[in-house]
Amino acid sequence: MNERRATDRQASLRNYIKLYLILIRTSVRSRMQYRFNFAFGTVLAAIIQLSEFLMIAIVLAKFGAVRGWTMHEVGYLFAVMTLAKTLYRTFGNEVHNLERYLVEGELDQLLTKPLPVLLSLLPRGFRIMFGEVIQGGAILAWSLGQMLHSGQISWWAIPQTIFAIVTGGVVLFAIGMATATCGFWTTRISMLQNMTEDAAQTAARYPLTLYPGWMSGLLLTAIPVGLVGYLPALYILRGELGLWVFPVLAAASCLVVLLALRFWKFGISKYQSTGS
Amino acid sequence: METISSRAVPTVQAEREAAIEAVGLCKSFKTPVVAQGRFSGIRSLFSREYTTKEAVRDIGFTVEKGDFVGYIGPNGAGKSTTIKMLTGILHPSSGSVRLAGIDPHRDRLRCASRLGVVFGQRSQLWWDLPVKDSYDILAHMYGVCDADKAKRLGEFAELLDLDEFWDTPVRKLSLGQRMRADIAAAMLHDPELLFLDEPTIGLDVNAKRNIRGFLKVLNEEFGKTILLTTHDMDDIEQLCRRVMVIGGGRLTYDGTVEGLRREIGLPTEIKVTYRAGYVLPRQGDDLIIAADSSFAMRIVSRTESTLTVEVNRQDVRTMDVLRELGQRGEIEDVEMREPDFEEIIRRVYG
Repeated sequence: MNERRATDRQASLRNYIKLYLILIRTSVRSRMQYRFNFAFGTVLAAIIQLSEFLMIAIVLAKFGAVRGWTMHEVGYLFAVMTLAKTLYRTFGNEVHNLERYLVEGELDQLLTKPLPVLLSLLPRGFRIMFGEVIQGGAILAWSLGQMLHSGQISWWAIPQTIFAIVTGGVVLFAIGMATATCGFWTTRISMLQNMTEDAAQTAARYPLTLYPGWMSGLLLTAIPVGLVGYLPALYILRGELGLWVFPVLAAASCLVVLLALRFWKFGISKYQSTGS
Repeated sequence: METISSRAVPTVQAEREAAIEAVGLCKSFKTPVVAQGRFSGIRSLFSREYTTKEAVRDIGFTVEKGDFVGYIGPNGAGKSTTIKMLTGILHPSSGSVRLAGIDPHRDRLRCASRLGVVFGQRSQLWWDLPVKDSYDILAHMYGVCDADKAKRLGEFAELLDLDEFWDTPVRKLSLGQRMRADIAAAMLHDPELLFLDEPTIGLDVNAKRNIRGFLKVLNEEFGKTILLTTHDMDDIEQLCRRVMVIGGGRLTYDGTVEGLRREIGLPTEIKVTYRAGYVLPRQGDDLIIAADSSFAMRIVSRTESTLTVEVNRQDVRTMDVLRELGQRGEIEDVEMREPDFEEIIRRVYG
């Protein structure tokens, strides 16, 4: 019996993965119906990213180092955050857009499907973010290259950085999902998102030592954006802490995403829908 | 048409289970009170004051397999809220729902795969893709194999004329086409139970007829249990065996269409044309009292040769009315008009 249940679960997991891929393909095809919009959006995103990069380049060129962090190290933090965020927004963007579903009652349709809501929700927002990938990748390559050249880091830094980007993406997704879940009570969430997502992510593009202790503490625990770039950078770039940083990152990202999922499940039972 | 009906043979227990069982359903919505005056925005953010709106209060009913139930009531009476609780979208504040014995909230996924849901105001199809693509995706979602899908879609296409817009993106369909496509989508996985929230809203006469015909076939030939909400009384009269009326969140009537008519007690109009005029005992009186004074009828209108009276057919047999009127002159023709269903509903909605 148990064995059968296990194979059942395996079969349904396989089915879910297949379905996920189908839904992603559907979403890409729908988006391609509006090719101009897609192309224009990609170009626009690239321009925005470029201007953001110019901003930070000016800051770096002007001040060089921030609180004992070199220009390359700050560039690294910026790039890791950008790439982690890109990862989150590529696969999990629709939790960020949940407000639309709550206000318009669009979630009704998803709830009548025999799928976990997240599985039908997430593929709808899948998109390929060329602009962000190129910008983040370029800054990362530049700062890593410089540090490799100066001998500050070894080639090990590359797989370690990739690991940090992945766990960082998971952490950002969890924060996004927990924030969105508040919408089941408040309906409108964009203000909250400004704080927990946009402001927090921007803050964590710089070394947390820049901020007062209570704030950096907050950014490592309540809204753990500090786990995305800052914490791994302490070890990868500066040799502080220890190798234990990686298992901690893995455990922490799993933990926050599980907590966020729990919260999400609870939130859905409070969904109020809209009149029709 | 074999595939739709030849679902796994239900066990004895499943046979006994009602298609829908709702017990003591309540739903109240809490909305924070918006403060007035200075800093109102900030104060409402921290205020713990709520207004509670009870959308549905203590609704309970049972729907047997194969039933066709109409659920009516004025806007804001709680129809949609009830349907959303039945389909597992909203969690009831208290009370319970069982669909074929399954709790749609605790066991949403299992329940959803046995359920078809159509919201007249929303589409479940993929807006930017051709209609047929939506069916492919839904088939994957519900685990419908290719052979079943082809067979069912073949049947639906015939009954609903889907062929004419098979390759058209959903966003370019007319409302009637979209609704047909949506209903077919809801039936693709062959659910035993179908919920429709205002399926005929905004449709023209032909589209309505087409959809009614399809629902009738689903119910009568395939034994599907159907519950629909509507404001169109023709839907109710032509389709439903049972009507439930909700008003102010409570169930105010649950029974047959005829029963509802009787309960409201609207009179039937009988118009009699006389060959050569008629004699009334007293001019100016608008009541005719039977010779044996067992009943009375009110005169609605009269012309030189016709007389229209109103009687309540619970109280009087039509034959007695005609016999009575026949004494006033030689009857050439008789017309009867049953109370208009719209009229009944107007009374029900109050």
